[in-house]
Amino acid sequence: MDNGSSVLAHLERLETQVSRSHKQSEELQSVQAQEGALGTKIHKLRRLRDELRAAVRHRRASVKACIANVEPNQTVEINEQEALEEKLENVKAILQAYHFTGLSGKLTSRGVCVCISTAFEGNLLDSYFVDLVIQKPLRIHHHSVPVFIPLEEIAAKYLQTNIQHFLFSLCEYLNAYSGRKYQADRLQSDFAALLTGPLQRNPLCNLLSFTYKLDPGGQSLPFCARLLYKDLTATLPTDVTVTCQGVEVLSTSWEEQRASHETLFCTKPLHQVFASFTRKGEKLDMSLVS
Amino acid sequence: MDETIAEFIKRTILKIPMNELTTILKAWDFLSENQLQTVNFRQRKESVVQHLIHLCEEKHASISDAAQLDIIYMQFHQHQKVWDVFQMIKGPGEDVDLFDMKQFKNSFKKILQRALKNVTVSFRETEENAVWIRIAWGTQYTKPNQYKPTYVVYYSQTPYAFTSSSMLRRNTPLLGQALTIASKHHQIVKMDLRSRYLDSLKAIVFKQYNQTFETHNSTTPLQERSLGLDINMDSRIIHENIVEKERVQRITQETFGDYPQPQLEFAQYKLETKFKSGLNGSVLAEREEPLRCLIKFSSPHLLEALKSLAPAGIADAPLSPLLTCIPNKRMNYFKIRDK
Repeated sequence: MDNGSSVLAHLERLETQVSRSHKQSEELQSVQAQEGALGTKIHKLRRLRDELRAAVRHRRASVKACIANVEPNQTVEINEQEALEEKLENVKAILQAYHFTGLSGKLTSRGVCVCISTAFEGNLLDSYFVDLVIQKPLRIHHHSVPVFIPLEEIAAKYLQTNIQHFLFSLCEYLNAYSGRKYQADRLQSDFAALLTGPLQRNPLCNLLSFTYKLDPGGQSLPFCARLLYKDLTATLPTDVTVTCQGVEVLSTSWEEQRASHETLFCTKPLHQVFASFTRKGEKLDMSLVS
Repeated sequence: MDETIAEFIKRTILKIPMNELTTILKAWDFLSENQLQTVNFRQRKESVVQHLIHLCEEKHASISDAAQLDIIYMQFHQHQKVWDVFQMIKGPGEDVDLFDMKQFKNSFKKILQRALKNVTVSFRETEENAVWIRIAWGTQYTKPNQYKPTYVVYYSQTPYAFTSSSMLRRNTPLLGQALTIASKHHQIVKMDLRSRYLDSLKAIVFKQYNQTFETHNSTTPLQERSLGLDINMDSRIIHENIVEKERVQRITQETFGDYPQPQLEFAQYKLETKFKSGLNGSVLAEREEPLRCLIKFSSPHLLEALKSLAPAGIADAPLSPLLTCIPNKRMNYFKIRDK
């Protein structure tokens, strides 16, 4: 029966068609479902991305605001610190500068270390230290005063009874010594050309002996000068003798000059006298030479 | 040139080590640059010396030139002698010291020459206000012995002179007299201080051994006192006696300071004391006469050694004041008697 098989075949064909279409519709459904799922995922991710972007923007804004808030505070702190440092530097500088006054000191664990800074004619010269122990009796622990300065004598007189007097007296001696030494050094270094021999000096610079010529290599007579500084607290000599080397009797003009030199040495610092000689040297009256 | 002078110069130059020879010859300033250039200093020493003597003869070296060379040698080799210290005392109410070097030299020489007809006196001034004096002693009848001179280092306008300990002790009073009178002092006293190190003696006598002073100018911060402990030590390990160690360090620092100690080689204590004992009936304690003994501490650097005793744990701190007073009292010879 052809009709039977063809009907069956037809039914089979229809069945397969249906199952195929079922399948297809199933597939379609699942694809659709997948599509739907992916779609929602996309939405979610987009939402997340937007949220994060917003969060970043928010953070940035708040950080900016933070900095804007913090900066003024920090600069205030820095300014305060700088001001304090500046003050500290100032105070340190003032303490250091005190030694320009000639007498300064620093407290130590056992007393005070006094610094005497000597000067002459506005030139700062050597400094000397005396380290004092504050005990009864007051005593000197160690010092840098030269041996030939009568420190023990001055201490014996004043240290226990009047420390101010002790310090001022010591200052006097040291400043005078420094001044005399300065004059002798200047003579040796600046006016060596006028000296005909080496300058004789002693440690205290209180006896100076030298020979000089007003016009070196010229015709003027050489003078011998001997300066005695019997007052150790003075920078000018107490006794001056100027003689003419090898000549017993001087002509009037030479005698006048000799006497005037004696006066000059008594009244003006040594190097200033020689400075005036070099100035006068240009105007030296050659008629004196005979 | 006299044979004896030549011999003396020869022996002096022979003493000089080769590496110092040119320096000393330059300081002597007797042979000229040209003359020195003719000498080949790379020869054997004997040949160099021969050549130098020849040059000295050419220049007619005198005994005073030879004496100058000897002084310079001694200035370079101070440690070969042991130096004594003398202190001079001014009379009461003396005037201000107007020291005149020329006057001093003349006076000193005259005094010695008046007493002993034969004496060689030479002077050499240094930059530190000191004058080196060399005296070769003779007698009325004998020439001066150039090989056993006495050296004196006198610091003008101070009361101190340092002399090389001489075997010729009989001349010491005369030397003292000459120094005292020439420097316008009244009296001279020998200090109980002696050493080979002239610089250290000077530092002790002039109290210049501590030259560190606190000022506001110093930029170096206060030095951290190192306890000599290992800083890298494990922090879990604690020194049992750290307190004691710190105490010892502090006392040592207070006594000896932070400065380098002057160099002395010995300290000598002559004891003449009765025996002291806690025990009764000891034979020694019953002795009427005091015991006499001599204790001598020797060291290449005595004061540094004493300073390290307590920190090293060898002695208790504080040390006996008899040991620590040495630089302060300016003594290293002590006589200790019962009071």
